Amino acid sequence: MSVLAEVSGNVTAIGYGLAAIGPGIGVGIIFGQGVQAIARQPEAYGLIRQNMLLGFVLTEALALIGLVAPFIFSAL
Amino acid sequence: MSALTLLAPPSDQFGAPTPEELFNLPPIIPGVDWFTKPVLLAMLSVILVVGFLWAAFANPKVVPRGVQNVAEYGYMFVRDQVARPFLGKDADRWMGLLVTLFFTVLLWNIMGVIPVLQFPVASHIAFPAVLAGSIYVLKVYLGIKHQGAVGYFKNMMFPPGLPKFIYVLLAPIEFLSNLIIAPFTHAVRLFANMFAGHMLLAFFSMVGFWFLFEKLTPVGAGVGVVGVVMTIILTGFELFIQFLQAFLFAMLAAMYIGGSLHPEH
Amino acid sequence: MSAQKRRPEEDGRDFADAMWSVPSYLLAGMAFYGGLGWLLDRWLGLSALFPIGVVLGVVLSGYLVYRKFGR
Repeated sequence: MSVLAEVSGNVTAIGYGLAAIGPGIGVGIIFGQGVQAIARQPEAYGLIRQNMLLGFVLTEALALIGLVAPFIFSAL
Repeated sequence: MSALTLLAPPSDQFGAPTPEELFNLPPIIPGVDWFTKPVLLAMLSVILVVGFLWAAFANPKVVPRGVQNVAEYGYMFVRDQVARPFLGKDADRWMGLLVTLFFTVLLWNIMGVIPVLQFPVASHIAFPAVLAGSIYVLKVYLGIKHQGAVGYFKNMMFPPGLPKFIYVLLAPIEFLSNLIIAPFTHAVRLFANMFAGHMLLAFFSMVGFWFLFEKLTPVGAGVGVVGVVMTIILTGFELFIQFLQAFLFAMLAAMYIGGSLHPEH
Repeated sequence: MSAQKRRPEEDGRDFADAMWSVPSYLLAGMAFYGGLGWLLDRWLGLSALFPIGVVLGVVLSGYLVYRKFGR
């Protein structure tokens, strides 16, 4: 069996790249909808800001766990 | 033909520019090891920024004309968007530092797309690290001066309004975040953006040049045209990112200074 | 909270504070509790405390951000 194609380098970089797709889209949706909501009802800014921040924290956590995952899985 | 590019790979294959040859530049005057192109560009930007602001504000007139008019736009931008939101009433005292930071980092970044110069100075980690480090020292010094040594750490680590038993768990997070991660991300944000932008521009320029001038083939010409178009688009995008990163650097500096001067209300 | 004068500037500043401190708190929490977990692993010879520490750090930082900026 001969090798047809070969990719060399660090697989963890690919892993992080794939892991950053989801949170990227998620953060975009959160802040896009948040800005729309503020435009529709500016008085509700405090409420919207709280919820935007909550959503941002949870989504960003996933991206940062993706950054740390290679170290976790090599230690387990 | 290969004299047109300093990075021509010696073989027949297309070789992408490596970070080694893009960023490890040789000294300009042989023998003076530290005087490389980034150092020259940094010195040049110091002269330019000082000269520009001096020419604008040396003899200020009430009705601005010429250079003073342009510089006043920049000054008002920094004052209204960067200083006033974070420093409030004290904004005028810190305008000197913030205007200098903003214009210096902006000029450093823009040098990445000016022909012949073409090296964003902030893509060597030393330059943003020095700036971020000095803002960090300033932040800690001001915090201790205004709130006392014990008060500064107490206000930082124990924000009011949390149940008592959680403090033990959360204080290390606050401490680590404010004192170690903040200056690190301050410098690395600028560095990483400029580094990545420069690599992207170099890569697409290399694609365009290689496929259109070095090895012109019918199929390859299409790829070359795509490379040139992408270079143009990315240069425009890069200009926007450079301005944004300069603004963010100054804004975060103002935020850290403001956080030291007025702790959580 | 003190009297809120010049409401839009205060809002903008609070929001910018929150936005830039979220990744920083997350990273700090993960680093600190992950590091604690890793040190405990080396001391006790286990290998599962490190990921538990990281997740615990994420949860705690998320709680910190929620209490600090969400009220």
